[in-house]
Amino acid sequence: MKGYRHWSTVPLQERPKISVVIPAYNEEWRILPTIGAIAHEMAERDESFELIVSDDGSSDDTNKLVRELELPNLRLIESVNTGKGGAVRRGALAASGDYILFADADQSTPIQQFDALFAPLLDGSAQVAIGSRGADGAEVANKSLKRKILSQGLNTIVRVGFGIKQKDTQCGFKLFTREAALDLFGRQRIDGFSFDLELLFLANRQGYAVAEIPVEWIDAPGSTVDAAKVAIQFLKDLVSLRLRAMRGGYRHIIHQPADSSATTNQQLRSAA
Amino acid sequence: MNITTNQGTDSTVIVLEGRFDAHEAPHAASVFDSVLDEGQNNIDVSLADVQFIDSTALAQLVRVMKRCKEAGGQFSLLEPSDPVLVILELTALDKAFNIVDGQSAEQAA
Repeated sequence: MKGYRHWSTVPLQERPKISVVIPAYNEEWRILPTIGAIAHEMAERDESFELIVSDDGSSDDTNKLVRELELPNLRLIESVNTGKGGAVRRGALAASGDYILFADADQSTPIQQFDALFAPLLDGSAQVAIGSRGADGAEVANKSLKRKILSQGLNTIVRVGFGIKQKDTQCGFKLFTREAALDLFGRQRIDGFSFDLELLFLANRQGYAVAEIPVEWIDAPGSTVDAAKVAIQFLKDLVSLRLRAMRGGYRHIIHQPADSSATTNQQLRSAA
Repeated sequence: MNITTNQGTDSTVIVLEGRFDAHEAPHAASVFDSVLDEGQNNIDVSLADVQFIDSTALAQLVRVMKRCKEAGGQFSLLEPSDPVLVILELTALDKAFNIVDGQSAEQAA
């Protein structure tokens, strides 16, 4: 608890080692327990860390709840609604850590799995580590049959059509070195749910080693995703990804790291 | 999540172990309700071995607290783990619940 008490009261004096980005869209019901779980777990570690909630134009009280916490090392990034890919990108490009994790707001992959992803980045064997429900040893609880069939079908297309070797592209628990994050999110275009796939496509293309780590995953009830609708959009995104790659659309970094749009609660307070 | 019910002299202690989330809330609710329906209005819920609790689970605890109080009984959370205590603080529910931590339990003994 000592680590958390310190983290929740004393602003970081230097750039954090780790940034955790939580993309959030209408998460007023789930965001506080998730912030609590992540903040406690990460604050008890030795490395310094910052937490970033990247709001995606929520129409509920997500922003208000996060702001009112007044935690000095928690940043809220506000935006109009663009889709999850946009929210993760804004969060990752605003992050100042040496390592940048994004983690879904529902804690479907418990934050306790962080170390498993961190290990291959620390020993240099990978620059990207992704949580996987498809890798050997992964535990999936409460995943519906519909979601299983859908994800297997999409995985086959992704593997065969795009040469992506990873078994699970969509798990919302991915860790990057800073260099890889700025490079990949800088090039990445898809604002919707298929951004995960685009990131892995780009990671392979840019020559980053990607470690796929089996994780425990709990399908959170109340998930706001319509699986069939997502699948159709995913297929559309695959086509535009392929066309964009053929036309050289990924050659340049188009999104720069930006911290001007982000304000810490500390700054908000001093401005008030 | 494992749920164990122990009948004490003054209260019923319900020990929860694992992840207490929306998946587990219906099962927990049925255990809470059966204890209440038996006329036990003093309930202590041990959260020492719960590492994560979500909003649905918290709502469940609030509901049981209300039922205990309406029946003239008492409701306490026993020794919540550190992550659960942080979640209770961030949701401001630490002020709503009677929380018995390890130290106050020792003092009371």
